[in-house]
Amino acid sequence: MPRTLSPGILLTRTVVAAVLLVLVMFGCSLIGPQSISLKAVAAGPTSLTGPNPDYEIFLHVRIPRILLAALVGAALGSSGVIFQALLRNPLADPYILGISSGAGLGTMLAVIGGFGWTLWGRSPIAVFAFIGALGTVWLVWGIGRLTGKYHVAGLLLAGVVVNAFFSALIMFLASIAKSQQIHATMFWLMGNMMEEDFLVLWVGAGCIVAGIVALFLLSSQLNIISVGHHDAKSIGVPVGRIEFAAFAISAFITAVAVSLSGLIGFVGLIIPHAIRLLFGPDHRQLLPLSGLAGAIFLVVADTIARTIVAPAQLPVGVITAMVGGPFFLILLVRYSRKVYWLA
Amino acid sequence: MTAVIQAEHISFRYGPDQPVLQDISFPVQTGTFLAIAGPNGVGKSTLLNILAGLLQPQSGEVLLEGMSLRSCKVQDRARRIAVVQQESVPVFAFSVAETVLMARTPYFGRLGFESETDRELVRQALELTGTAGFASRPLGSLSAGERQRVFIARALAQDTPILLLDEPTSFLDLKHQVRIYDLLKSIQLERHTTIVAVTHDINLAAQYCDEALLLYPRGGRPAEYPHFRIGKTADILTPEEIERAFDVRIISGVVGNERFLIPLGARAKDSDSAGRAG
Repeated sequence: MPRTLSPGILLTRTVVAAVLLVLVMFGCSLIGPQSISLKAVAAGPTSLTGPNPDYEIFLHVRIPRILLAALVGAALGSSGVIFQALLRNPLADPYILGISSGAGLGTMLAVIGGFGWTLWGRSPIAVFAFIGALGTVWLVWGIGRLTGKYHVAGLLLAGVVVNAFFSALIMFLASIAKSQQIHATMFWLMGNMMEEDFLVLWVGAGCIVAGIVALFLLSSQLNIISVGHHDAKSIGVPVGRIEFAAFAISAFITAVAVSLSGLIGFVGLIIPHAIRLLFGPDHRQLLPLSGLAGAIFLVVADTIARTIVAPAQLPVGVITAMVGGPFFLILLVRYSRKVYWLA
Repeated sequence: MTAVIQAEHISFRYGPDQPVLQDISFPVQTGTFLAIAGPNGVGKSTLLNILAGLLQPQSGEVLLEGMSLRSCKVQDRARRIAVVQQESVPVFAFSVAETVLMARTPYFGRLGFESETDRELVRQALELTGTAGFASRPLGSLSAGERQRVFIARALAQDTPILLLDEPTSFLDLKHQVRIYDLLKSIQLERHTTIVAVTHDINLAAQYCDEALLLYPRGGRPAEYPHFRIGKTADILTPEEIERAFDVRIISGVVGNERFLIPLGARAKDSDSAGRAG
């Protein structure tokens, strides 16, 4: 029997990718409009002349932002894998079932409402985005279930239509809102990284990492589910339970990511494809590697976004599309022979 | 011989005005090779999916070794019944070995990896189906006949006493049709597997199967005439029964021991001259 994925190979590749991620995060933490030296950072919070600016920038500006980019990238990369498997559709991404428009609508409502309160240190925008994202994705799931328990096309169509409907609502609200408010929302819709509190980062990291670990435990069953639900059922996999769990977890971590950073496109679509082209479709490997690759990709993209037009910043979503698109096309052309649906 | 599967008064409809199967009862004997035949839309695949536990009949039930399939857990059923569905290509480019290994998914360890037993079962299935030679190739790069053998290998790796197949030879050329049936027959004889196959090929069924179940269409059937008949292939796959089920003229002959049946339409070259041969 020829080699299939072994635990040893998986562990090696995951560790290599994780080390790579740490190196990239470290490298990117030294890049920015303000040049800082490691030596100065190592000197600690206070220097002889007062507060140490290098240390402040490194610890309270660069590190939180890079951690956030890594978290969001990991969430989007891995949930992209899950949505493509569940929908048996290579064009699926984490936003396809309404998370994006739901979060956008939530944001718009929060901005127009002009709320001044905060919840656990989060602005109402993040809270509304989170609620909007999860509410919409479950609405789509419910509608999809009404069209048939295993009717993937029904679920996809429900997602497309709900996305279109909510986008129209967003347009409507945008047309009656003040231009200042619209600017804030637009920035958010294009993906907005900010320097977050460590508390928020730890909570976010806890949710996202736990979610990815849980998804990994489902990933061998997702292999056969991605082939077909009848196949999975006849082989003895409890399809309904696994699909529901995978959907709930990946919708949750996507909603967490979206509420932290706004809508960052492309990561959840191209990262799973790139990893699949390079390493094959086995979800036990696809999931962890896509999570790590998504993290690396977004850390790099965000570093470009915050430095290329410094002292101003670009929305990171612009960079993910502009860098990711050509990079993905190169991969596509080079490795497409491995993938039958392009042949 | 005992009945490993017993269908009890199965009725199934897709909608209120779309009844498909009505009050069907029959046994499947242990170790037998049963063909299910009948015209399009008569409910062959539906019946197979009900036997597989993938569809629930509105009334009646399937007994598996005497137990109701309805109350059987998914995992327990999968230990006894493997299914080969009609040919399809998965969206993602899994290799042959990966595909066959998927049959062992319920038995993987906590982290989702296979045991040595699983690998041995996969190895045997690949060998038996002659798919070991291209086991690392993606499914999409194979011919339809090769791919069908891979799906049979996956079902074999499930290591079940019962194998159900839905039109295993549709889309295959003559050589590959014969190879699939040879393979199924050797599985039946060597592993004592009970095999049920939906088929359109009456002649292959006559050559390879022990029993046949013929489903008749609802329209034009006299009320007293049965919805289906089951028995030895020689008793069921007769020109008269096939003509009645398919509403087509049949000429037949005998080669060796088994009868062959050829359908003739009005414009066929032999339609004027042909009486019943054989």
